[in-house]
Amino acid sequence: MAAVLRRMRVDRVNSRIHLAAGLCLLLVALSSAAPARGAGPRAIASRTFSLSDTGRLHLTSKHKFTLNEQGYASGTISGAIYIHLNVVSTNHVTAEVNIYPSGGSITGYANASYHPSGSVATFNGTMYLARGTGRYSRARGSGLSFTGTIKRENDAVTVHVNGRMSA
Amino acid sequence: MSKLLALTALLLALLWSLAPAGAQAVTELASLHASFSPNRLGAPTTIAFGFHLATSEGAAPPPLTSLDLRIPAGMNYTDTTLGLAICQPAALQATGLAGCPPNSRLGYGTALVEVPFGTGQGHEIPEIQAVSGPSPHGNLVVLFYANGLYPVYAQLAFSGEVLPDSGRYGSQLATNVPLVSSVPGGPDVSIVDVQTTIGPSHLTYYKHVHGRLVAFRPRGVAVPERCPHGGFPFAAEFTFQDASHTTAATTVPCPPRRHR
Repeated sequence: MAAVLRRMRVDRVNSRIHLAAGLCLLLVALSSAAPARGAGPRAIASRTFSLSDTGRLHLTSKHKFTLNEQGYASGTISGAIYIHLNVVSTNHVTAEVNIYPSGGSITGYANASYHPSGSVATFNGTMYLARGTGRYSRARGSGLSFTGTIKRENDAVTVHVNGRMSA
Repeated sequence: MSKLLALTALLLALLWSLAPAGAQAVTELASLHASFSPNRLGAPTTIAFGFHLATSEGAAPPPLTSLDLRIPAGMNYTDTTLGLAICQPAALQATGLAGCPPNSRLGYGTALVEVPFGTGQGHEIPEIQAVSGPSPHGNLVVLFYANGLYPVYAQLAFSGEVLPDSGRYGSQLATNVPLVSSVPGGPDVSIVDVQTTIGPSHLTYYKHVHGRLVAFRPRGVAVPERCPHGGFPFAAEFTFQDASHTTAATTVPCPPRRHR
């Protein structure tokens, strides 16, 4: 009788362990399937998700062919954004983009065609994510679309970045 | 008046047809000049440029069909507020400069045109306007408009596209020049001389500030921060109706060093 009772207790403990393990697996699977809303991606494991951000920036300074811009990015990743926009030629720009979301930073580089026309110049190209820090230390991505406008009267920039990234 | 025009056209056409074949095998000569005002390193400026076309025989050149003006490397377009508005070519052609927003103006100048077999001295078109045009290929577009009334009745409207260049030249203004009849039905006019500016000199733009329209002077394209040995190079290639070409080059001297 005592042996039967001992056996039943062992079975109950085993089934609890299985249940806990199953729940853990489910949580891991869910967390890697999609980015947590609002909390932003975690740095525990690298995972891929869609990025769709818009930045609105104003000119802070100019140096030779470079416009230095500062503003705020909102969308999948929110935070302060800084762009150094370098006008390479009459129809080509390059940019270094730094975003500072909570708990880290992301740095990307962009290459775009540049089309001044009247009061607005537009740019259209691609961007890659070169590095990150903190929660975004594994931030990587390439071929992201990099588009936007420059208001020529005051050099205010609106930028849109879309594509897949991992973090 | 119309009889006079028709008679002139007939005479010109007759002269054209009677001209010896050798008369068309001429050598075109071109000269180019350019200047910056002010000529200061890194400063926004007004670019003035002009060219004169002739033949080695001293007669008027064949009608011009294209002009590529090459502009020195290092000119800074990032800071300019020239061309904050766009002028539509149809409006420019229909009503002249009045059809264009003031903030589309880029510069102005004069031209000399010549009827075929003229003296080569040319007849002045006292007003050329340069305005910012729509950009079908994403490049800056300059529309030129010249309104000639007498003795050559010609509305010249043509556009140039600012394209990137390489080496000593940072960009080029590639311009196609349409053929314009000297008189209705007559031969095309030859452009002998053009002087024009691209820059804020004598231009006034307007903007709304707290509901009021305020005049301001646009900022020009900036002179390069460094002057290459020998000065800032400009060059031009001219193509004529008979498919002949000629080139010309000039430099803007380096500005004098500022003493501190």
